[in-house]
Amino acid sequence: MTLDTGPALSVSALGKRFGELVALDGVALSVGHGEIVGLVGRNGAGKTTAMRAVMGILAPDRGTVTWDGQPVGDRARLRFGYMPEERGLYPQMRLLDQVVYFARLHGLDPAAAVDSARRWLDRLGLGERAGEKLVALSHGNQQRVQLAVALVHSPELLVLDEPFAGLDPEAVDSLSEVLFERAAAGTAVLFSSHQLELVERVCRRVVILEAGRVLAAGTLAELRRELPAQLRVKVDGPDGWTQGLAGVSVERSDEDGVLLVVQPGTDPQTILQAALAAGPVEHFGFESGGLLELYRRMVSR
Amino acid sequence: MRRGAATRVIAEREIRERLSGRVTRIVTVATAILVVAGIAIPGLVKSSASATRIGLVGSRSQALAPAFERAAKAAQVTVRLPDVAGVGAARALLDTGKLDAAIDMGASSATIEVKQSLSAQTRAVIAAAVDEAHFRSALAKAGVPVAKVLPAVTPVPLTTVVLKPQPADQDARYVAAIFVGLLMYLAITLYGTAVATGVAQEKTSRTAEVLLSAVRPQQLLVGKVVGIGLVGLGQLAIAAIAGLLTNAAVHSAKIPGSVWVLMPAFLAFFVAGFALYAFALAATGALVARPEEAQSATLPLIMPLPIGYVLTFVAIGSPNATWLRVVSWLPPLTPTLMPARIALGTVDWWEYPLVTVIMLASIYGIVRVASAVYAGGLLRGGERLSWWTALRGKD
Repeated sequence: MTLDTGPALSVSALGKRFGELVALDGVALSVGHGEIVGLVGRNGAGKTTAMRAVMGILAPDRGTVTWDGQPVGDRARLRFGYMPEERGLYPQMRLLDQVVYFARLHGLDPAAAVDSARRWLDRLGLGERAGEKLVALSHGNQQRVQLAVALVHSPELLVLDEPFAGLDPEAVDSLSEVLFERAAAGTAVLFSSHQLELVERVCRRVVILEAGRVLAAGTLAELRRELPAQLRVKVDGPDGWTQGLAGVSVERSDEDGVLLVVQPGTDPQTILQAALAAGPVEHFGFESGGLLELYRRMVSR
Repeated sequence: MRRGAATRVIAEREIRERLSGRVTRIVTVATAILVVAGIAIPGLVKSSASATRIGLVGSRSQALAPAFERAAKAAQVTVRLPDVAGVGAARALLDTGKLDAAIDMGASSATIEVKQSLSAQTRAVIAAAVDEAHFRSALAKAGVPVAKVLPAVTPVPLTTVVLKPQPADQDARYVAAIFVGLLMYLAITLYGTAVATGVAQEKTSRTAEVLLSAVRPQQLLVGKVVGIGLVGLGQLAIAAIAGLLTNAAVHSAKIPGSVWVLMPAFLAFFVAGFALYAFALAATGALVARPEEAQSATLPLIMPLPIGYVLTFVAIGSPNATWLRVVSWLPPLTPTLMPARIALGTVDWWEYPLVTVIMLASIYGIVRVASAVYAGGLLRGGERLSWWTALRGKD
């Protein structure tokens, strides 16, 4: 595995307990250079804890976090950008000073920090207000400053905890655009969200967390393959043709034909042949369903 | 980035943010004024302590002036003996404080008038003069030549040998002791509380989480303490320079152990005392749930400061008490008590290394515990935490 093709961020066997509560239980995930990975799961599934562990904000009880194959230390973390779920900046500090400060903390020299801070504030439409204090801004604009703080040092990994929460549709579009642009420039992006239709739109790969474990991970197509598929078949012939087919059961039957549940590993061709044997096949297709549907089925499994 | 560099960036922000506020400028000026006043006033007080003024009422009293001069000389007291026309005039002068006492000689008795009280010394001088005059006139009446018995009636000079003389600048020492104790108490409280509120604000505004994604808790903690400490030290240094200039100007030289020892000692004890308190207060700031709680949460921790200040008065009352000496070595009391004792001149040389070692060891211990509590408390929301919960739950 070479550096270029291997995952940039690799997390394995991450475990963390808070007293009796098991927050993470063997979580593994990876994000490649230029890849956007979505972390989904209900509240308390361990998304924030996993992200904090990646950022080194809390120390996991066990497990490793590596960047380009090396354990992540203070030096590597300076090339990470972070946006916590509970946003936080200095209310009384001016925007430019604030963004410059965080750039400096990430190792930029004063001139480069000012340059980059101005560029990001301009880019996010706050250039005119660089001299104002944070408290003077609306909630949405404060959110943009938070994003500028995460981006100002041109991080190689972006970790964003619920970045879309509370954004209006326009802001959602502009944030997505920024993420696509950063990913195209080679930045690895890991973000969490409850808005699954957004996750589906923005990332190619998702990781589903449930009670501190990875329930499933992969592209949407890969996830579908792991689950029993739903196959709708309409045959102009007698019912009961599915009997005897291994790995196939009837979910329900109506005027649109039958909805079959097909276990992973079952060859659709055998089902099609059985259907053809029963009569002319009018419809034969897998119900795709979005991430939301997929997630529901995964979690209820 | 080197770890020290991040700490410096953090300290710089603290300094810049504080210098841009008006409060810092006001405090700087107020402290300087306090120090200048503290030095100028004892100098002025000292210069007003002068001769005892005894008004001589009427010609009978005024005739006794030479006897008063002799008695005062024998008692080693400086007196001034203004003539006063009558009792009424004398009372007016006593009332306005222009006379300390007035003597009105009658034919066979004398009256001393004072405003409130008569010092034993002044009374003794007056009594000696009056007795001498009475004796002389009695001799004259009896026809005995005065010159013959003069040696008998001249007061015998009494010389007092003081084995442990009080320093001439005793009053100035008292003022200086109270003053350094008070200034230290105020300075550490002010800047220490600023550290606690700063930490509480970073925690409750959730800025801490963003900060901790880039730096370690220790860097954040040290940067904040150093930044605020330097602002405090800068303000006190300005005040100290103003103090030295004032001292040179009024030529009081009344500041004991010389200002050149007291000022640096004060700044050194400020640095040590601030470090001791600030780290503990920072940890407390990381435990609160709301920024308003910071004030009340820090109160028990800073209690030793006013206690130390009150003990400076005890130190003035019994400067050589052993228990007080020992108490001043206790780290929370050292910052207020030691500079006061230095001002009083009651510190032995060997106490300096002893106190240095005790202070450094305590600061080291506090920094260790406080860092752990700080790191444990900073990201924990919900209720106010105890030191113990924060320590146990540290990540």
